[in-house]
Amino acid sequence: MANALFEEKLHSDEFLVTTEIGPPKGVDVSEMIHHIDILKDKVDAINVTDHQSSVMRFPSLGGCLLVKECGGEPILQMTCRDRNRLALQADLLLAYSRSIVNVLCLTGDSIDVGDHKEAKPVFDSDSVQLLKMIRTLESGKDVSGNDLKGVPKFCLGASVHPEADLIEPQLIKFEKKVAAGAQFFQTQGIFDLASLRRFMQYASQFDIKILAGIIVLASARMAKYMNDNVPGIIVPEAIIDELASVEKGKGLQKGIEIAAKLIRTIKEENLSHGIHIMAVGNESVVPDILEAAEVEVARH
Amino acid sequence: MIVAEQKPLPEIRRMISPYERVLILGCGTCMTVCDAGGEREVSFLHNALRVAQSKGGNEAHHFLESTLKRQCEPEFLEMLVDKVGEVDVILSLGCGIGVQAIAERFPDTPVLPGVNTSFMGISSEQGVWDERCAACGDCRLEDTAGICPVTRCTKGILNGPCAGTKNGKCEANKDMDCAWVLIYKRLERLGQLEKMRRYYPMRNFRAIPRPKRLVRTPVALGEDDG
Amino acid sequence: MYPSVSGNIQKYVVHRIGMPSRDRSFVPPCQATCPLHMDIREYVDLVAQGRIMEALQVIRGGNPFPSICAYICTHPCEESCRRSQVDKPIAIRALKRFALEFGGDRMIQVEARTAHSEKVAIVGSGPAGMACAYYLRNFGYPVTIFEAHSELGGMLRVGIPRYRLPRDVLDVEIQRLTRMGVEIRTNTRVVSLDLLFDMGYKAVFVTIGAHQSLRMGIEGEDSPGVIDGATFLREVNLGLKPSLGDNVAVVGGGNVALDAARTVLRLGARKVTILYRRSQAEMPADPAEVEQALEEGVHIQFLVMPTRIKRQDGKLNMTCIRMELGEPDASGRRRPVPVEGSEFNEEFDTLISAIGQAPQTPGDFRVRIGRGSTIQVDPATLSTNRRGVFAGGDAVTGPATVVEALAAGRLAASRIDDYLQHRYPSLDKGGRETLVGDLLPETVEMIRKIGRIEAPLLPAEARIKEFEPIELVYDWEAAVNEARRCLRCGMGAEILFQDKCATCLTCLRVCPYHVPYLDTMGTIQIPADQCQACGVCIAECPAKAIVLRKPYDRRHVTEELDHVLKSASESKVSPLIIGFCCQYGLFGTGTLANLWRVAKAGIWIVPVLCIAKVEADHLLRAFEIGAEGVFVAGCGEQCARENTVAWVHNRVQKARKVLSEIGLEPNRLQTYVPSATNAYPAEWLDGFVEQIGGLYLASVIMKEVKVDSR
Repeated sequence: MANALFEEKLHSDEFLVTTEIGPPKGVDVSEMIHHIDILKDKVDAINVTDHQSSVMRFPSLGGCLLVKECGGEPILQMTCRDRNRLALQADLLLAYSRSIVNVLCLTGDSIDVGDHKEAKPVFDSDSVQLLKMIRTLESGKDVSGNDLKGVPKFCLGASVHPEADLIEPQLIKFEKKVAAGAQFFQTQGIFDLASLRRFMQYASQFDIKILAGIIVLASARMAKYMNDNVPGIIVPEAIIDELASVEKGKGLQKGIEIAAKLIRTIKEENLSHGIHIMAVGNESVVPDILEAAEVEVARH
Repeated sequence: MIVAEQKPLPEIRRMISPYERVLILGCGTCMTVCDAGGEREVSFLHNALRVAQSKGGNEAHHFLESTLKRQCEPEFLEMLVDKVGEVDVILSLGCGIGVQAIAERFPDTPVLPGVNTSFMGISSEQGVWDERCAACGDCRLEDTAGICPVTRCTKGILNGPCAGTKNGKCEANKDMDCAWVLIYKRLERLGQLEKMRRYYPMRNFRAIPRPKRLVRTPVALGEDDG
Repeated sequence: MYPSVSGNIQKYVVHRIGMPSRDRSFVPPCQATCPLHMDIREYVDLVAQGRIMEALQVIRGGNPFPSICAYICTHPCEESCRRSQVDKPIAIRALKRFALEFGGDRMIQVEARTAHSEKVAIVGSGPAGMACAYYLRNFGYPVTIFEAHSELGGMLRVGIPRYRLPRDVLDVEIQRLTRMGVEIRTNTRVVSLDLLFDMGYKAVFVTIGAHQSLRMGIEGEDSPGVIDGATFLREVNLGLKPSLGDNVAVVGGGNVALDAARTVLRLGARKVTILYRRSQAEMPADPAEVEQALEEGVHIQFLVMPTRIKRQDGKLNMTCIRMELGEPDASGRRRPVPVEGSEFNEEFDTLISAIGQAPQTPGDFRVRIGRGSTIQVDPATLSTNRRGVFAGGDAVTGPATVVEALAAGRLAASRIDDYLQHRYPSLDKGGRETLVGDLLPETVEMIRKIGRIEAPLLPAEARIKEFEPIELVYDWEAAVNEARRCLRCGMGAEILFQDKCATCLTCLRVCPYHVPYLDTMGTIQIPADQCQACGVCIAECPAKAIVLRKPYDRRHVTEELDHVLKSASESKVSPLIIGFCCQYGLFGTGTLANLWRVAKAGIWIVPVLCIAKVEADHLLRAFEIGAEGVFVAGCGEQCARENTVAWVHNRVQKARKVLSEIGLEPNRLQTYVPSATNAYPAEWLDGFVEQIGGLYLASVIMKEVKVDSR
């Protein structure tokens, strides 16, 4: 199987653009397919989230299959929350067999923030261990050391949180992810470019690509809600005020502007190797953001 | 210490409803300390059930009270032999261990759990208990500055904090400390941050095949002197 | 798995002891210091609860003539009171007086019946003789008191001035003795004990006091115009009015000197000066009396001693010398040493010497005399060298206090009883342990500071005009509030069932005074000398291993509740409402007094000794016995402790949860504490009653509906 398109791009100097799609809660995938269609040519790859915020949905792997069917480049988000090492490895084997080779390795949100709070949290492994697990599969063995029939090959990503209020332990973990085999990182939502700049100054020593996470906010209310309820997100007061300043119904427009401005600056000042746009339910506006930010992905 | 919480009164009433003579059995050790099933709680539950009965319930129970020093030792259970003959059911305010010990000792008498056994932990202040140990059978507190990530991190992860930590608190509960922030700070204070930089492989769950049994093998005579 | 454990069971079984009925409290310092060992802690607590009649009973049980002590006791109990480590000691004597006055002591009749034929003679009718007569009569012996003077009372009659002890108080006590059947022979001086035995008396108690004044031993001591203190007081007390002139000196520093000086003022002298050879700190007189004397205008010259008296032109010219304090002497006080060349002269009209008194025992008594002319006795039995002759009081001890004399009289009565019944003297074997140890600074810090409330005094100007009693009685509220300051030493909590204690540390964490601690063996200790008996740990102990040391305290709430149950079931008034109310706030202080007064039929009040002792169990039990509504009312700001109500709130919440779980309205259980916004308990109670009435009515209607629909 040929090397994935996305991995090739990681080795180039291109400004990379990824975005993400949340699968539906249910079996009607038509809207998701619509989103894939309008996004697949505007970005380098599309993440499919894995029960994001611990809310049960159509699976990530199924979403990736749809992206593939539609001709897009999927990134499989894989969390350790719901599957033990058997299930994780099995899903990876299936993914590879269907040419899904980009995997974003995550620990996963806590069960407590989701809609199945009574469920058993699995966390048989964490994100670092998942990266190692996948590299082990690539060596032709499963994690228990048994031989595999056929050997998979993946392009591995992980996440990092440059705006964490206590950054040092996050950096320790970041280095462990690098050591475990992560090739690219999609960061948590960035609002403060100063912290991104500080992080990049440090991260540039590693042979990896950093894609700055851009969250598209649709209203001040949403921003506040995310601050309170979504793990790892810190929207600064200034941005909330900016969103609150516009008249009702124009919030999303403002959010698009904010995101586009961030992206333009990141690109102009070379603050990262690319961006990862998280539109959280407003996937259809991603092309508008890219247009406003004057970012276009290279065609192959 | 084992920490538990008394079951809600309606649940207890539902459980005992088929039985007439009920022995409310307290436990003098952990359940006393965590205020879930000591002599005071036995007496309080007894009173509560009697009030329930007198205020319009259709039940007609007879209650007996007793509190053993420990329900989880067969020797202590022997003291119950006479009482058990006089009742239809034992409502145990012991932890899950006590309930099962009673079930083993008295095969012909139903036993009901009066508490929900919650965890092993410490009392950080009067009336507040915090979980501290998950009895995972594979202790790594040496590497984590004496703070257990398996117990105190909601995800039980071993290689550092997730991105959900904010203001030193956990994403699952804003009042709960992030175990990994605590570990980081303490390792830093101890000058042992290299322990955190180390990669920790996935846990070995074989360390605790359930149910677990611990057998302390006596040292054979003479083995010591080689 | 465990094949043969049952054989070993006996070894493990710990037989549970039931709730003990024994008093396990320590003897508090006040009681230990009191020569009569009066149960002071108990009656002070009863006053605090407003249970004055019961307080009076306790007082009378421990003291034959409490009304006398209420006026003139030197109250060593107050000197040893541990409250002085916090602020000031409890005003025990004044509280006793309050209990006597408000409890109606004068109305109390004491009766006695003759059960023995052996007659006992008592020589002397001072407090020791009277007490001995009182108890011997109680034991059933025929008793005769022989008194040389025309009236009974000894020093109480002829020594103590009337402004300190009103004579009607003394007369009431003497009347009681007469009513009990004590034979009294006044104006009868006993000169020989043989005669008494000849008259058929089987035992004699010699209690002739110490009436002989000591001489100063200086030149001119026998001049006209020089009189000794005892004689002076006797004359005044027996109705004479000696002429003194305008300027009077009193020599001495004891209570007699003070009594004499203040009596002189009341007789109209213009100036009275006390001359004392040491400084104020060494004065043996009661400091409060010194204070009062100074207020009234008595002059005191310290470090002065007369050396010579010369009578000139109808006046006394007295030479004095100044003194300084040297090394401490045998009594521990610093010995006064004359300052050479410091002599000076002063003129007085009269000089009263009050430097001490000694007994004067007729030689025909043939009892052995020891140091200071006192009669020698075996201190354990008060028996003299003569068979059947006992002695006590000042005649044995030299001048001492009334309460010591009363104690001696009581002891003599018991020992004479033993003697007459041919019993080996039942020596005191010691009962409960005495509490020793000071309060720790940490404990003191946590105790609410409440100043001592003094009994009111007549103003000084009014006092010196007449011989009326100068100290007034507390009013009800002041007395109750003063009594509530008592720290209840030695009756606090103890871990009675160590085998039950799970060492959960609840007591250590909940104690408002930080008293319990973990010893080095890992055992919880509740030191009795620190515990303040608030009861919080007892109500919170999850193992029920802690109890109060006094049996009554242990049972109190439960018993009161049972009592209500009995009375309420007879009354059949609906709806039944039970209130746990602070007994301290229910009566005297008046915080909750309104509650008590407005409590209507159907409302039953369970008085509790601080609502912190009400357990969640008690609340549920009230409902079980049929209460439609239950409330807990605390005294609020007046509580001797901080934050009592927080504990009650917790327990109320716990019980309320049960109520809602069984389908009863949680607001059937409420807490009331007076506050700025909710200051009127009666108003609050009316609201509560109305609310419960409504709930009750609704439930009755619902029942009828159910019956109808069947």
